[in-house]
Amino acid sequence: MSYRIKQIIFCLQVLMLIDASFGFEMETFEFLNICQVHGFPRIMGVLTHLDSFKNNKSLRKTKKNLKHRFWTEVYQGAKLFYLSGMVYGEYQTQEVKNLGRFISVMKFRPLVWQTSHPYVLVDRMEDLTDPEKVRTDPKCDRTVSLYGYLRGAHLKNKGQVHVPGVGDFQVSDVNFLPDPCPLPDAQKKRALNEKERLLYAPMAGVGGVVYDKDAVYIDLPASHVNQLQEEVHPTTELVQSLIETHATLDTKMAASKVSLFSGSATLDPADISKQTREREGLEEECVWDPTTQRERRKVIFTEKEEEDDVSGESDTEEDDSEGSDQADDEDELSQVEADRKAKAAGGAPPEKKQRVEAEAGRTESSAEMPAFADSEDDLEMSEEEGDAGTPGDSGHSSEEEDDPTEYECGATEDLWKKHPERECEEEEQGSLRWKEGLQQRAAEAFLRQQETAPNLRKLVYGSVVEVQESQEEEEELGGLFRVSRPQKSKKVQANAPDCSRFKPDNRHNWDVEEMLDSIRDCFVTGKWEEGQDAATLLRQDEELYGDFEDLETGEVHMSQTENAEDHDDEEEEIQVKMDDEEVQKNKRLEKKRRLKERFDTEYDDDDDATYFDDLKEEMQKQAELNRAAFQDMDDESRVQYEGFRPGMYIRVEICSLPCEFVKNFDPHYPIILGGLGSSEGNIGFLQMRLKKHRWYNRILKTKDPLIFSLGWRRFQTIPLYHIEDHNGRHRLLKYTPQHMHCGASIWGPITPQGSGFLAVQSVTGSKATFRIAATGVVLDLDKSVTIVKKLKLIGYPFKIFKNTCFVKGMFNTVLEVAKFEGASVRTVSGIRGQIKKALSSPTGAFRATFEDRLLMSDIVFLRSWYPVSVPQLYNPVTSLLLPAGQKDSWSGMRTLGQLKHDLGIRNQPKADSLYKPIVRAKRHFNPLHVPKELQKALPFKSKPKQQQPKGRTPRDLQRPSVIREPHERKVAALLHALSTVHNYTRKKAHTVQHAKHKEFLQQKEKDEEAKLKRQREAKKKLYRVMGQMDQKKQRSSLKGATKDD
Amino acid sequence: MASNGLMYDGCNFFRQRLVLSTLSGKNVKIKNIRSRDDEPGLRDFEASFIRLLDKVTNGSRIEINQTGTVLFYQPGLLYGGSVEHDCNPQRSVGYYLEALLMLAPFMKTPLKATLRGVTNDPTDPTVDLLKSTAVPLMKKFGIDGEAFDLKVVKRGMAPGGGGEVVFTCPVHKTIRPVQLIEPGKIKRIRGVAYSVRVSPQMGNRIVESARSILNQFLPDIYIYTDHMKGANSGKSPGFGLTLVAETLNGCFLSAEMSSTPQGQGDPVLPEDLGRNCAKLLLEEVYRGGCVDSSNQSLALLLMTLGQQDVSKVLLGPLSPYTIEFLRHIRDFFQVMFKVEVQKPLDDERKGGDKVLMTCVGVGYSNISKTVK
Repeated sequence: MSYRIKQIIFCLQVLMLIDASFGFEMETFEFLNICQVHGFPRIMGVLTHLDSFKNNKSLRKTKKNLKHRFWTEVYQGAKLFYLSGMVYGEYQTQEVKNLGRFISVMKFRPLVWQTSHPYVLVDRMEDLTDPEKVRTDPKCDRTVSLYGYLRGAHLKNKGQVHVPGVGDFQVSDVNFLPDPCPLPDAQKKRALNEKERLLYAPMAGVGGVVYDKDAVYIDLPASHVNQLQEEVHPTTELVQSLIETHATLDTKMAASKVSLFSGSATLDPADISKQTREREGLEEECVWDPTTQRERRKVIFTEKEEEDDVSGESDTEEDDSEGSDQADDEDELSQVEADRKAKAAGGAPPEKKQRVEAEAGRTESSAEMPAFADSEDDLEMSEEEGDAGTPGDSGHSSEEEDDPTEYECGATEDLWKKHPERECEEEEQGSLRWKEGLQQRAAEAFLRQQETAPNLRKLVYGSVVEVQESQEEEEELGGLFRVSRPQKSKKVQANAPDCSRFKPDNRHNWDVEEMLDSIRDCFVTGKWEEGQDAATLLRQDEELYGDFEDLETGEVHMSQTENAEDHDDEEEEIQVKMDDEEVQKNKRLEKKRRLKERFDTEYDDDDDATYFDDLKEEMQKQAELNRAAFQDMDDESRVQYEGFRPGMYIRVEICSLPCEFVKNFDPHYPIILGGLGSSEGNIGFLQMRLKKHRWYNRILKTKDPLIFSLGWRRFQTIPLYHIEDHNGRHRLLKYTPQHMHCGASIWGPITPQGSGFLAVQSVTGSKATFRIAATGVVLDLDKSVTIVKKLKLIGYPFKIFKNTCFVKGMFNTVLEVAKFEGASVRTVSGIRGQIKKALSSPTGAFRATFEDRLLMSDIVFLRSWYPVSVPQLYNPVTSLLLPAGQKDSWSGMRTLGQLKHDLGIRNQPKADSLYKPIVRAKRHFNPLHVPKELQKALPFKSKPKQQQPKGRTPRDLQRPSVIREPHERKVAALLHALSTVHNYTRKKAHTVQHAKHKEFLQQKEKDEEAKLKRQREAKKKLYRVMGQMDQKKQRSSLKGATKDD
Repeated sequence: MASNGLMYDGCNFFRQRLVLSTLSGKNVKIKNIRSRDDEPGLRDFEASFIRLLDKVTNGSRIEINQTGTVLFYQPGLLYGGSVEHDCNPQRSVGYYLEALLMLAPFMKTPLKATLRGVTNDPTDPTVDLLKSTAVPLMKKFGIDGEAFDLKVVKRGMAPGGGGEVVFTCPVHKTIRPVQLIEPGKIKRIRGVAYSVRVSPQMGNRIVESARSILNQFLPDIYIYTDHMKGANSGKSPGFGLTLVAETLNGCFLSAEMSSTPQGQGDPVLPEDLGRNCAKLLLEEVYRGGCVDSSNQSLALLLMTLGQQDVSKVLLGPLSPYTIEFLRHIRDFFQVMFKVEVQKPLDDERKGGDKVLMTCVGVGYSNISKTVK
């Protein structure tokens, strides 16, 4: 699910495979949304299944549609690659090659988070815990070394890292190893030759022999093992026996016999053990931290169980370098020695052994004693080690130190040849011997240091590390009292007054002339350097900007040289005239060029571009400087100054990882080490701007736990949503707004402002309804929050004077009232008022004044704001610690809704919150009564009208109906008929007349048009004639004029 | 998710530890603070410093055991704002201000700190010195704006105090990397000869004697006399001189001297003081570098807190305080400086050995600042 993608997201350039025959899927968009929040990584879409389109036109159309949709989601012009289809179940080679090329040339703008934080995608994991400790306490914390390429920013040693899915850890050690998959030496080749083709895959074996500080892998192919099982070959004997072993290693070791060379006498474990014991005895004596040394040897024993199930290959383990020496042939011996030298630097695949060997001398010292790699001499080194007790084993402490050791070894060279493991022993002895004269040499070194300038670097970082001397011997008096005495010099320094002033030593006597002379050049009055001398600068200046013209006065100033030249010219004018002209010409050209330059600078650059250009130039300069600063140093010292560079292959050792990390290790799940900034390991309140995601189908509730993905971390926490009022107050919201941003406050890890985050409700399993719940950005970090919610206190008036009123029921005590004296109150009807003073009789009652008289039915309320605290839950998602197969099933705290659902709890609603049928009493309105006087005064318009019907007409007003006589009726009928006929004829005549008039109008219009046309033509004719005449006149006048001329 | 803490012994470098702890967010525990002393535990001025730190931060946790010999400090976030603090007169305001200068650019809201107490005393860098060297130094790191200012409102000499200083600093998100490699030649020397509750002539006497030495090198010397009267003159009498040499490249080297506090030791003559102070300046010039000896640690801190870019600065010989500071930087930020000694050429007359410090910034950004 997206959750797993999330882990990959930071490290890789992402290819999005899109099934074109299906179109975009929800997951694609979800994934893109995740990307948007954390900054777009290297995204390129790849369209597949294009062969399923039979129709060429529809194919083109689909391509176009998908491309544009992809662009709206990613950015305009995002790359989309088309894989045309499969041939025999495989993609075509050429297309895959092209895709590879495309990937390699993709360019993207850098992401802020990733450029400011180092990170490692782990490609190898080794458990380094002492097996004895694991045996006694299987749940003890583990020490683990993790390998991988460093990306992003520089990684500092001993920093803090976050492992997504596990938690925050302190790095106990980091060192860099040779690149297991280095770039070929020559660039600009289209293809690699067979030798340079390396395959390197995370969490996978590389074959052959891998040999480093933590483990030894020897890859024996299964067929090889079976074949050789019968013929017992000395090379595989030991390995075989180790594979088959079921007894513990100690017993096995005791039983095994080793012959160093074929045909020589076997070596008894007894004398090996004698030697090793001897050696170990030595180590304990002289090595500051014996665990490192022992660990290195022991770890090889411990690895067995882990290695077998991790890589799933037929890996076998070797007890020690001796074993492998024995197994190899004689001619390989030197090779193995080189290995042994390289073991400190870490594993190199066998193909590159030659290279490693070449570097061995250099890398040898690296991992062991990086701090003093550039120390000046071994003597001072030894002095340091003697008293400072810096970690690291003495035999390997630095390059220079090996020299005396080797010299001593030379005496017993023949012995050494016989016993390869002697080398080590000799070294140890050598180291011991070199410790003999320690005191004397230290004294010498000290004297020398006094004489010459002290090596400041060592002074600062090296030798003056406080000696780990335990308690000073405490004298006890009668077993009860301790004698307190003034402390020794060191302690005194620890408690000296804290002052930044640097008191001058009295070496310099500033009354002496020589002393004064020694700083004379520090002043402008002193001697200047060749290039900066005022005279030279002036001369240069003059050459450049010597002559100028004062535009106001028109005076021309010439540079002195020019003037001089002029004088010269006057003298030898004639001879050098030609030359002079040449010179003048050049000068003119020069002047022109300068003017043009000035013009360009004045007018060409537009203002907005310059700032950006300046910025870019500055950045480029700084980048150049960054590159140059440590370029010529070797890596060992370089990593101390600038940290481990991105691109290095590093080994990170982490102590105290939970045992589940190792036990439930599943290489299918990526492990990322994300480096943290200086205060990003802390925890505090984060204020963020948050928006519910548009595809999440419900709004989010305050105080429901939510899983955030912020920076490297994924954690569950309880957000409070709030919105900022116009006066800057953060008011609590119960739910997020539907389509708007709101604020959210959480208790979580301090992450720089501006980092994006996304939140999901749960990461358990894969559901179709999974959606991103919210996205946003961190705004502010603090150790406290100020979110408030509204609180209305209600009271009731119990006595009303004019504008004053006694209110009860709002507070319980006089003290509470006193706290709110002067607060403004309001009634439901909108009358505003103020709390004046507490009353004595009903406790909690108070006197308040209002702007108007209150009614007894009014309710008084006081609007106040109550601070809300953010619940301090920070629950990192520890999915990597879950057993294999269940890693997707991490579930944290459940939301209230889920809890209720799961437990089947239903809230009993309040009785008065339930809906009841609304019964409304019939409303009765009295008629509006306007007094008679008023009615009279009103204008007619506003007078109430007599809306009631007229009623029966009184008898005296009733008129009798008329009944006609038969004759009258006849007359009326005739009149009616006549009038009908008349009406008809009139109407007819009217229509006829109308039609006639229309015709007439048309005719008239036609005539008018004809007339106009005629007139136009006549005018045209007239004008033409006039024009001709005019022209003629003009022509004639012109002619006349020319004649005159 | 407790970030691991660091453990130290003794009360020395107390401010460094607390300041770096605040900036890096790492807890710090200091043990054995004067544990063998007749008066064990923290002194009043240290307590006062802790109080100041508490005022400018939000959410810090400070635990001190009963005798005051063990201090545990869990830093909060720098808050800033308007802060008033009565500094303990055992140490001068410079003691507090040095730490505040380091913290001020990284606050949530711009800092306006009013510090009251002793402005000038012989042990700590005085306010005048910080004003004329530390402030321009910080400007080189991109910390400026008109709000960036240090003002002496009242002057208060050593035992009594009664001075007042107003320090305002704007908030910055990031610090610019610097390349201060070439100090340039000294073009002028400026200074302030101050005197309070003594004859105003003292100032002139100091100036006279200081000029007598410095005039051998440079004509451009101007030393202001600053005689404060009445309410602005603090509670104790005293006088002193601060000299600042400015180079062509805008680097400042300084020296100062104050009269011994009233009732502590032999009184000094203003002439002697002027001469000695001038010699101190010469000593400082002899040491050289782009940053003077009392501000070395400030410069190194700002380099450390820069972007992930290379910064370079040329210093004179490292003071013990700076050396310890470098170690602390390594502890808190895992940053090591490349230290290269530059020996002067034979024919050069530019004082002693210089030290070129190079480091890569940690990419620190102001996490307190609010974005809108």
